[in-house]
Amino acid sequence: MTGGQVFLAVVACMALGLCLRRGPGTARRAVIDTGQGLWKILPTFAVALPMAAFLAELMPADAAVTWIGPESGLNGILVASFAGGLMPGGPFVTFPLVLAFAKAGAGVPQMAALITGWSIFALHRIITWEYPVLGWRFVAIRLIAAFPLPILAGLLAEAVVAVVPIGLGRP
Amino acid sequence: MVIAAIGVAAAAALWQRDGAPAVGAALLHAWELFLFIAPSLLAGLLLAAALRQLISPGALARWMGAESGWFGLAVATLAGALTPGGPMAAFPLVLVLAGAGADRGALVAYILSWALNGFQKLLVYEMPLLGPDFAIMRTLVTLPMPMVAGWIARRLPIAWDPPK
Repeated sequence: MTGGQVFLAVVACMALGLCLRRGPGTARRAVIDTGQGLWKILPTFAVALPMAAFLAELMPADAAVTWIGPESGLNGILVASFAGGLMPGGPFVTFPLVLAFAKAGAGVPQMAALITGWSIFALHRIITWEYPVLGWRFVAIRLIAAFPLPILAGLLAEAVVAVVPIGLGRP
Repeated sequence: MVIAAIGVAAAAALWQRDGAPAVGAALLHAWELFLFIAPSLLAGLLLAAALRQLISPGALARWMGAESGWFGLAVATLAGALTPGGPMAAFPLVLVLAGAGADRGALVAYILSWALNGFQKLLVYEMPLLGPDFAIMRTLVTLPMPMVAGWIARRLPIAWDPPK
């Protein structure tokens, strides 16, 4: 286990402790909820992880390095931000894919930009949820306000990585 | 289903190119990866489930009006990050917030914060798969962004009224 994993486990136990203080019923619901979540997510992972592994094998390592490698700088961040916005599907598709990109040599700031771009622009979510619920004017307001953020996230991540060495996936 | 299709296609392509051992090696990689992320996955699910029992984002709506300034945007950002579940849970909540008096800046901040740093996605997917170090770094970097976007959204000359 890595330090981050231990930290996560400790925080989870603290949150469960807070539930216990609310009463045993609350804690029991939390545990049942965890079990149900696991039950729902395991099948997804059983499909998504092999997919990511196959794609990682297929992806030519050099391609990812040239376009979105650690040395690609601002251009790579721009490409990744844009590509992120076009990536369809939920987190169970995106994060394994990012892992596959990382294995093929993508840089950490570029991946931060890609995840941010995917989070903000997610075209499929705008079409299926935001436009029907809130209308196109709201979509326009939100997109204009958020437009530069993925690029900013990539640049900030680049600054952070220059100071603190942070890897992707396996340490 | 879509992932399964992509997975099968990728496996077939790999078989075609490198033969059966390469497919086996990739599957082994996937299994090792799963063993590696399992502790984070379990802790993340437990934390997400405990948080769901402890909080209700809708209760924060009264602090998110048009006159609420940066404080309202901060509250909206916090509420967004604390909203569990996918879009089918979050967008109906946006309407609830709008009805409770949140202005468009707060709504933009709320949606962005949920999309960027929603705790469930973070704990169940990003932390286990990409590693806590990366996830924490990305979260810290993007944490103030919804507030900035909300601030910009309040100043954009586009008329918008919340749907009734």
